[in-house]
This record gives sequence, structure tokens and C-alpha cells, in this order.
Amino acid sequence: MNPSKSSQPSAPVVIARGLSKSYPRGSVTVAALRNASFEVGPSEFVAIVGPSGSGKSTLLNLLGCMDAPTSGTLQLDGQDVSQLADSGRTRLRRDRLGFVFQHFGLVPTLSVAENVALPAFFARRSDPKRVDELLERVGLSSRRHHRPHELSGGEMQRAAIARALMNRPILLLADEPTGNLDSQTGSSILELFRELNADGLTLIVVTHNPSLASAAGRRLEIQDGVLISSTPGSPPKPHGPR
Amino acid sequence: MNLSWHQLAWKETRRRPMRAGITLTGIAVAVAALASLLSFQRGYRRGLGLELDRLGAHVLVVPKGCPFDAASIALHGANWPCYLRGAYLDEVRSIPGVATAAPALMGAFPKSDGTQTVVVGATEDLLALKPGWRIEGRFPTATNEVLLGADVARKLARKTGDSAMFEDLPGPRRIAGVLEPTGGADDGFVFLPLATAQRDLRHEETLTHILVRLRDPGQLDDAVNRLRGCNAGMDMNIVPLTHLFRTIQGMMGATQVWMACVAFVALLAAGAGVSNAVLMAVVERTREIGVLRALGASPGDVFRLFWMESLVLCTAGAVTGLLVAAAASHWVESWLRERLPFSPTDTLVRLEPGVALLCLGSALTLGSLAGFLPAWRASRLSPREAIRAPSGT
Ligand SMILES: Nc1ncnc2c1ncn2[C@@H]1O[C@H](COP(=O)(O)OP(=O)(O)OP(=O)(O)O)[C@@H](O)[C@H]1O
Ligand SMILES: [Mg+2]
Repeated sequence: MNPSKSSQPSAPVVIARGLSKSYPRGSVTVAALRNASFEVGPSEFVAIVGPSGSGKSTLLNLLGCMDAPTSGTLQLDGQDVSQLADSGRTRLRRDRLGFVFQHFGLVPTLSVAENVALPAFFARRSDPKRVDELLERVGLSSRRHHRPHELSGGEMQRAAIARALMNRPILLLADEPTGNLDSQTGSSILELFRELNADGLTLIVVTHNPSLASAAGRRLEIQDGVLISSTPGSPPKPHGPR
Repeated sequence: MNLSWHQLAWKETRRRPMRAGITLTGIAVAVAALASLLSFQRGYRRGLGLELDRLGAHVLVVPKGCPFDAASIALHGANWPCYLRGAYLDEVRSIPGVATAAPALMGAFPKSDGTQTVVVGATEDLLALKPGWRIEGRFPTATNEVLLGADVARKLARKTGDSAMFEDLPGPRRIAGVLEPTGGADDGFVFLPLATAQRDLRHEETLTHILVRLRDPGQLDDAVNRLRGCNAGMDMNIVPLTHLFRTIQGMMGATQVWMACVAFVALLAAGAGVSNAVLMAVVERTREIGVLRALGASPGDVFRLFWMESLVLCTAGAVTGLLVAAAASHWVESWLRERLPFSPTDTLVRLEPGVALLCLGSALTLGSLAGFLPAWRASRLSPREAIRAPSGT
């Protein structure tokens, strides 16, 4: 319903300027993300890497409009979203963004097809053709009436990806999408991401998975809430453990 | 596959079937109690009204004693160890305002199977009180004649003109008439001429009660006062029937208010159960709420989702409760009959559409109140915090 309609085809999908987020924890405030500035162009595949607790999820939540930044500005598809009210962010998530989680986040009481249809339901639409199309795309047509607990981990993540694509987002955000999967299943998910990216979808993925990170066209490395390097292009350098 | 709010809510009951079942049962029990109570209240009032109409009398004159027992006697037939002197009848008849005074001598013969034969000695005065009676044949006048209630005639398989033996009465009797079914206690009575009954029951010159019809029912209080003031007034209990019925109803009313309070509290407790169950669901599904918010659910959508769960639970509970109440009404009826000091012959407990709708409405109101707090809480969750919550299921 809301296909990307940038004024110029090469305009960045994401423009972050001095993006910061701090959380109050007792009497002190924890700066989970400090002064991050970067851009993500259309059809880019970006991996966010860094040690645990470095602020990757915090950054992804800001990009996904799940949260408002403490300071700095964020533009998505040319729109400044840093000052948006809660309702505006909700609408943006619904119509323009797709989310994939480590824990899949499927609703256990609904069938695969119903899960995939949820974003359209929240947009007060119904598009069974789109559901069929997406299930076909992720190879779950035969599983449409199954409930999540009847699926393997890889199948659940495929269903979750189909659901994230339901409302034709301009940007797909994934937080450790292979974190709960074995390496073989993980690489099949990676393959799916590659295909989606090749079809023009902009992807930002938080990951600890080296092969997923190296598959990305660019890596944003974050440490203690600070963006320490933005490595454009591939091949990526191998990274030692910290 | 078209999603809808109530469908989503209904499917949620599958996640915790046990909890949903227990919560639903709470509502069902409370609604069943409420529905039975309301049905009984209506049935009882209607039944009393019908009894009064069928009796045809405004005032009942009985020997000194408990007026409730007296009413039971006159209405349903029983033995009563006290008697009125036959001479009182003339005195009652002479009171201004009395249109008809019908004397009666009643005797009950219990049977081994728990039923009883009720014999009523009466005069043709009784006919003036019973405009609704349809007799096939006529009222008995000769010594050996009887008039049978419809049920008695059916059980004996006798019709007008036949003769029959009654084990509690000496000698054969000729059936002068058979009453068409009245729906009341008269159907189970055997009517004899008063003199015959006094002879057979060995109570010459005595009566068990006198049924009095007034010229003007509006002058009830005056007539009652005059009856109480007459010479025989000291030995008689003058029972104004409308008052009696009102007293019975008032007595029942007090009990019913008490029972209504219990049902109401049960409903509130069940509502608290629903609230609690949905609140637990909100806590358990916090992360899922975060996911739904990420997919684009607004706070209003989340509110609606959980509010609908409460409504679905209450509605399903109410429907179950109503089905139970309808199915159990027969049992409730006989249970009540055994315990009530006085119960009309008509059906006491019958679930009517009005009562069912009222119960359903209460359950829906309760559901929307019970769901409000959990739904509001769920809708207030910050998506960022909710998504970090540990998995509940
Ligand atoms: N809601 C919150 N309230 C308080 N502190 C928070 C909150 N969310 C994150 N933090 C803190 O911010 C820092 C960054 O957290 P974040 O979840 O972004 O890390 P991460 O890089 O995603 O880690 P991991 O790889 O373990 O998922 C951490 O120190 C964390 O404790
Ligand atoms: Mg994280």
C-alpha cells in the first residue's frame, strides 16, 4: 500500500544525525547510544555488529520507531521521525517498516496465514492474495493452516519474515534473526535475505552471526554505544572476539 | 481467512484452556443462579396470581391456627385437626358485603405411593366462586353422587354416569360430573355433597373452611373487620386472601432479595476472576504485545484485543450459564417445591427470553467493566519495554 516513493531514486532511506539514546537507571542515566550519524541508501543491506550490551538493539529500536531518540534527528524515507508522537510512530511502523525478531514473535494461537495477515488487519485491510504470494515466496504455502508450534525454527522465522513484508515496507529491520537457529537453518534465512535484498528491499540486520554479517554490503560496528566504524562494501574484514 | 477482533479473542482461549474454562465456569455459575432466581421470582408471582383467580374467593375463613397452613389446605388439600362449627356459616352469610359463603369440609387420605386422595364436601355455593369451571354433567346433589377432578377421573378411567368405589369412602358412588382440567389443585379433588362428606368423614355439623366471595372486593378491609367482629369471630381466623398472598410474596421477596444479593456477589466475584485472568494474560503476553506494537498495532488496538477477550469470556460464560439454567429448571423447581412453605401448582421456574436477555446484558456489562483495567494496562505498555520482556509462554 505504501511503496517507497522517494523524490529521487537514490535518496537515502535512513539519515541519522547525532542520534543518541539514554535510559534512566536509578539515579544515573545510561547512555546506550551516543551521537550516531550514518546513512543507509535504498536497496542497501546493512549489518549492525558489536559486543553484547553495546547498543545494537537500542539503535535498531530507534530506526524502527519503537522509541524516540533522546537527541539527534532521524529521517526515514525523507521524513523526520525524531519528533513524531506515539500515534505517528505507530502508523509508520505499520505502513513503512517490517520487523523480524530473534524469538520470531509469532502469535501461537493463530495459523501461519493469520500471523502473516496481522499487519494488514491492524491497517484495517484484508489482502488474502498478498498472504498467498508471501507464503509462496518464503516456501510455506503448504504450511499456511499450521500453527507456529507445528513448525521448525527456520519455518517460524520464514513466517515471521513473510509477516514483516505484508504491508510492503520500505525498510526491513531484524534483531539477531538467526540467533535461535542452527547454522544451516541460519544460512537458509540468510539466503532469503539476500534474495529480498536483490529484489530491492532495504535491510538492516543486527547480528552476531559472522556469515550473515559478511553477507551484508556494509557493516556498522558499535561499541559502548558509539558507532566506531562504518565499513562500506565487501569483502568484510574478519573480526576477532573482544 | 478473514481476521476479526472477536475471533482473535476467542482463539486466545485456546492458549490457556484450563484457565479460560475455570474463569468461564465462574461466570456460568453466577449467571445460572441469577437466571434461575429471576425465573423463579416471575414464576412464583404469576403462580400466586393464578391460584388466587382459580380459588375465586376473597376471604378464607378457617379455624384458629396458622394462616399459611390454612391456605395450603384450602388450595392444595391436606388434613387439619381443627374444625369450624357448621353454625358459623349462617353468621358469616349474614355479614353485609358477603355475596357468597361456600362451606367446605376437606379430608386427605395419604396413599402409600406418596400421593393422596383429597375429598371435599361442598354445596352448590361453590359454583358461584368458580366461574371458570366447566363440568361435564352436574354438581352432585344426591348422597351417593360425586364430582371428579380431571386428574382423578383420568386415573380411575371413569366418566360421567359411571360408578366407582373409593377405598377411603364406604360404598359405591355414582359420578354425577367430571371437571374439565383447571390446571389447579381442583383437578385432584373428589367433591361430595357436604352432608355426605360430614357423614363419611365422621364430622357431623363441622367444616374445615368457608370460602367467601364479596360483593365488592374493594371493600375487603371493611368486610374483614365485620367478620372479625361477629360473635363467632373469636373462634375463626379470617384470612383476606389478597393480603395472604401479598404476605407470602413479601416473605418470599425477602428471601429473594437475599438470594439476589448472593447471585450478585457471585457475579462480581466471577467478574473479578475474569479481570484477573485477563490481567495475567497481559503479563504473560507482554513481549507479544511488544511484537504486535512493532507490527503496527496502536494502543487502541491492543486495548480492544484484551477488552474483547474479557467480553468473549463473559459472553461464553453467560451462554453456558443460561443453557445450564434452562436444562436444570426442572430440577430446581422440584428442589424449591420441597422447601417452600407454600408453592403454587403452576410451573415456578421457566427461563423466559426476557430473563435470558437481562442475564446476557449483565454479563456483557460485567465483561466490559472487568476487561477495562487489564486492557488499559496492556495498551499503556511502551513498545520498547514490552519487546524486551521475557517470554511468558
Ligand atoms: N529499556 C532499558 N532500560 C534501561 N537500560 C536499557 C534499556 N534497554 C537497554 N538498556 C541498556 O542499554 C545498553 C544497550 O542495550 P542494547 O539492548 O541496545 O544492547 P545490545 O547491543 O542489543 O546487546 P545484545 O547483543 O546483548 O542484545 C545496555 O547497557 C542495556 O542494559
Ligand atoms: Mg540486542
